Amino acid sequence: MEQLLAIWSEPLCVEQPDGSTLRDTLVLLDALSALCPFTEVVRLGLFVLPLRGPSRFFGGDDAVLRAVKQIVLDVVGTAPLLGVGEGLFCAELAARDEVIVPLGASDVFRRTQPLSVLGRKDLATTCQRLGLHTLGAFADLEPARVAERFNKHATSLHRVARGELAEMEGQRDVRLARRLAQLRGEDDLFEEQMGFFGQRGAGDDRAEAAAHRVRRRLGADAIVVANLCGGRGPEDRATLVPWGSPLSNARDLAPWPGQLSAPSPATTLAHPVPVQLRDVDDRPVVMGARGSLSAAPTGIIFSSPLRREIIWHAGPWPLAERWWLRKRHRAHVQMVLATGEALLVVAEASRWWLVGIYD
Amino acid sequence: MFAFSPPRPSLSPELLATLRPVSLAKSRTLPLGEPWRALVPDGGLRRGSTVVVEAPVGLGGLSLALSLLSESSTLGHWAAVVGVDDPGVVAMAELGVDLRRVLFVPRPRGAWAESAADLLDGVDLLLVRPPSRPAHGAVRRLMDRVRERGTVLIALSEPRTPWPLPADLFFSVTQAEWVVSSRLDARYLTVRVSGRGAAVQSGEHVVVVPNRRGRAEAS
Repeated sequence: MEQLLAIWSEPLCVEQPDGSTLRDTLVLLDALSALCPFTEVVRLGLFVLPLRGPSRFFGGDDAVLRAVKQIVLDVVGTAPLLGVGEGLFCAELAARDEVIVPLGASDVFRRTQPLSVLGRKDLATTCQRLGLHTLGAFADLEPARVAERFNKHATSLHRVARGELAEMEGQRDVRLARRLAQLRGEDDLFEEQMGFFGQRGAGDDRAEAAAHRVRRRLGADAIVVANLCGGRGPEDRATLVPWGSPLSNARDLAPWPGQLSAPSPATTLAHPVPVQLRDVDDRPVVMGARGSLSAAPTGIIFSSPLRREIIWHAGPWPLAERWWLRKRHRAHVQMVLATGEALLVVAEASRWWLVGIYD
Repeated sequence: MFAFSPPRPSLSPELLATLRPVSLAKSRTLPLGEPWRALVPDGGLRRGSTVVVEAPVGLGGLSLALSLLSESSTLGHWAAVVGVDDPGVVAMAELGVDLRRVLFVPRPRGAWAESAADLLDGVDLLLVRPPSRPAHGAVRRLMDRVRERGTVLIALSEPRTPWPLPADLFFSVTQAEWVVSSRLDARYLTVRVSGRGAAVQSGEHVVVVPNRRGRAEAS
């Protein structure tokens, strides 16, 4: 999960009737976006940005934190609470406690939190009666038991507690980004599905109603829509966002330099699966610094007993990352297995990840 | 709107109940693109029908099923994809699917049939990949509702866990072969098309899904 810097600005969290809150939010968002273009406003008063890129650029986490603090001071007049954690849920809690949770420690950090952070009194009370006082204790309950004892909402909170979901339902104000765009006069970026004469068609309303039904049944993150943006690999170019959240305006279908060419895999794994590649002597295949393979891969191991023979491969095609990640070497490799399946894998030094299946 | 509209004679409720909207044969089918147009009756998918796409895992079933969505989606019809965990969105765009009109329920957990039913009223094409072995009853109920609503259901299955009821149209991938150069170029799928009704000419066809541009085409 990505390390996020959460920025909590108290004065901006309550909306003033004169519209100043929204205006200040927009100014702050623009200022922070100059620092990191991936800054997001989660809801009023809460901003996040991925820490790794800016940190490399500014020379360390502390430098970024200092810069962010100064920006918020300049715009709002009050210093923000800052915190760093993996995933939105942890990052917000970290900001509340004003701590930096080191990479890999978010699990422990999350587990020590009191149940009240889930914001559900009924759940907290029931759990306390069961002798469960922390998120960790709650997380250790069997998912099946949670599902039978509590309602659907609790199941999703349970997944948050277990670290399977990076954010809580309702943590994000899905309407806010749109309101800000309206304020900016760029509302047309949030494309609506247009009917034949440019107006919304009846079909669009029907689809929207259907999406509502699914959301009520399965929860906010269950129904998603797709969005394409620039990037090299199919796994970078596609994003699935919860239905109802504003689509990213980077709908960039223009050819991207070095883009992996069509055809793209019909299955693109949102969470790449670690795999191992072996050469003919059963040695691990590694990618060297110059982007060449140590040997031709002849076998792929998904998990220890599951091994398949590779009959053809192509690549590696190096991926130049976002500019501040230049030191990372990644490359795509396509392969066809003896069983007829074709796969797309990504190499990162000696590690391999399955990112797509041409199924 | 006309500036002057003549008064409409009011119809009796009994008569109203017997009326049905004007529909032509064309609008009772959703159009298919290449190469499918030539292989199915009326060149499209009949509303209310169930289409089953069966393929061994990893051999092109998903690409084939997604390619059935493209033509209708370009023409403004909505589609939903239920139970496909990690849809290859870029591949869908390459196939010609208009992503602005596709809803995804990637992980319906235990409720795939319920989610599918929820979506039926809202979309024209519904692609489902049911969990390992779909229950007979759930499938029957879903197909009944599809018929009633005039949606097209596209079900993706594998030979070892077949769709439990006969489909109106049945695509079965029997062979998949990649053509490669310095990269993956194209995949030739041998597809057996069969179905109910006299109009369906059963037979085996070789199609390219995807080709070099990621699209589907005749071989």
